[in-house]
Amino acid sequence: MVVQPSKPVLSRVPLDWILLAFGFGLLLWFIAIWWNQSEPASDAQKLLIWGGFLLAALGIARVANQFVNATNPVIGFTPAALTLLVVVVTAEALLRAYQVPPGLIPTPSRVLFTFFAVRDVLLQDAFQTVVLEALVGYLIGCGLGVITALLVSRYVFLERGLLPYATVFSSIPIVALAPVLVKMVGIDWQSKAVIVAITVFFPVVVNTFRGLTEVSPLSLDLMRSYAASEVQQYRWLRLPNALPFIFNALKLGTTLAMIGAIVGEFFGANGQGLGFRIQIEAGRFGFDIVWSAIIVASLIGIAWYNLVAWLERRLTGWHVSFR
Amino acid sequence: MLARLRSPNLVPMLAVALFIAALYYPLMLIANIPAAQRALDTGAALPCKTAFECATQLRSPVLPSPQQLWNGFRNLMFPLNSPNAIPLNAAVTALETIVGLLLAAVVGFFFAIGIVASRAFERSLLPWIVASQTVPVIAIAPMLVVLLGQYGVQGWIPKAIIAAYIAFFPIAIGVAKGLKSPDPLSLDLMKTYNANNWQTYLMLRFPASIPYLFTAFKVAMTAALIGAIVAEISTISFQGIGKMLAENSRASDVVAMWVIMLSSAVLGILLVALVNWTERLVTPWQRAKVAAMPVLKQARVSKQEGVS
Repeated sequence: MVVQPSKPVLSRVPLDWILLAFGFGLLLWFIAIWWNQSEPASDAQKLLIWGGFLLAALGIARVANQFVNATNPVIGFTPAALTLLVVVVTAEALLRAYQVPPGLIPTPSRVLFTFFAVRDVLLQDAFQTVVLEALVGYLIGCGLGVITALLVSRYVFLERGLLPYATVFSSIPIVALAPVLVKMVGIDWQSKAVIVAITVFFPVVVNTFRGLTEVSPLSLDLMRSYAASEVQQYRWLRLPNALPFIFNALKLGTTLAMIGAIVGEFFGANGQGLGFRIQIEAGRFGFDIVWSAIIVASLIGIAWYNLVAWLERRLTGWHVSFR
Repeated sequence: MLARLRSPNLVPMLAVALFIAALYYPLMLIANIPAAQRALDTGAALPCKTAFECATQLRSPVLPSPQQLWNGFRNLMFPLNSPNAIPLNAAVTALETIVGLLLAAVVGFFFAIGIVASRAFERSLLPWIVASQTVPVIAIAPMLVVLLGQYGVQGWIPKAIIAAYIAFFPIAIGVAKGLKSPDPLSLDLMKTYNANNWQTYLMLRFPASIPYLFTAFKVAMTAALIGAIVAEISTISFQGIGKMLAENSRASDVVAMWVIMLSSAVLGILLVALVNWTERLVTPWQRAKVAAMPVLKQARVSKQEGVS
């Protein structure tokens, strides 16, 4: 293979960044002049916004090409951050240009101001939804799931009798459980914790079971030739082997837990919770508060996911996928 | 489904089912007797005298008795096309789910091609696609429906769009994985034949992605069904399983809610079975591969298939 001469990267940098800056400049300029206007913008101005968006998008695409091989996660994140920024700025400009009523789609700036104004209420809601409902349910569901998987992997009869049901359960819409459970347990946070526990339970069982049983036969033979007891087998071979699988389920579970808690609240809550807030405010067109609640839920969801991913790296750093 | 019935799991599965069935009745009595006692204490006119008798006849039982479930089932099944019966509403929800899935397949495919074809695309968009999944996407559903309604998109279409929004991620990731799956040797061969990008996709990458596509479809189908139901719940709807759930939840008809829950479970299983069936139709060679394996391994494969 012929070694290609390295491309003159530096000479291309200015043009890309100029494109980007020019696109953003157009958008910001429009927002600045239209900040206090109350009538729709002219066609030429709308065209200008789309032009600014396209220029910025093109700029991002070209800039991203230079970051393709970045290894530092913060630097590698630059294109994604620019994408978010351009979407938010374009949304702001377009909503102002077309004068969309804030009761329909609030502009991003308005959402941010509302977010700041109602932060105390949202924090209380988040405590109820995330700590009481999602986290408690998550811990219970995952704990029971791992224990069930240990039993199922130990007894073949359970494997054959229970596991097929677990796979069937994975194709059941869990949300349909929510109203029944809320009626059964009550509208306090416990009912939502039960929903979350049931939702995360099945993926954990199925994944943990796979991890516990998909052990290399050679290692099993080795264990046997050392006359290792069953407990030792689990302690030194099966459980370590299952860890990557368990963490996969745990990561999946963070999303499911948030969804379970929020949907559960749609069916009855004691006046608190992110899902309750979203449901109520969407009903009376308070979309700036809805978006604020979604921002809170998203930030917590992302943080939670990354916390589990960080734990995974700490505990299973030896695994192939991290080398 | 059929392969599983023939598998060595049948007897243990039946045993577990019987065990649970045997446990259900006493459990139901234990759960309902306190509630029945409370109902008797209030002096309400009940057709029964002791708490034990009343446990199977409560209007809002903690656990409904089998007779109540059976009666509820009969009431909600017929007539088949009644607007308050399950069959019609389930059909509407199924339609929304399937249309949503197809929509998600189209969008997911484009995203997958973008991810595979351009590292720059991956760098600037993939983090947000992933983040959109760690976000409870369902929270967006009520807003989206109101929004689409404002612009004249009403009825089942907004629900299908929400189903698609929730289902497209597993498809995009699955197809991207599939498009990256061809053996490097085959890719080299394509290069030796001087195949252009388009030909490589058409002849090598798309066929290689089909098994991944169906695995993704199974996950996406469940996600889409959840999306459709939530969309029906969180908005003004006139048809669908979600509307029935919301309606009966407001009316506190617990038995009906149980029946609807069980029917939606059956609907979920049927929809995933539909994907399985389509897969068999489209990729007969996959089945031949499984059939050629020894029985034990076969059981394991079918299990993993269902799981993933």
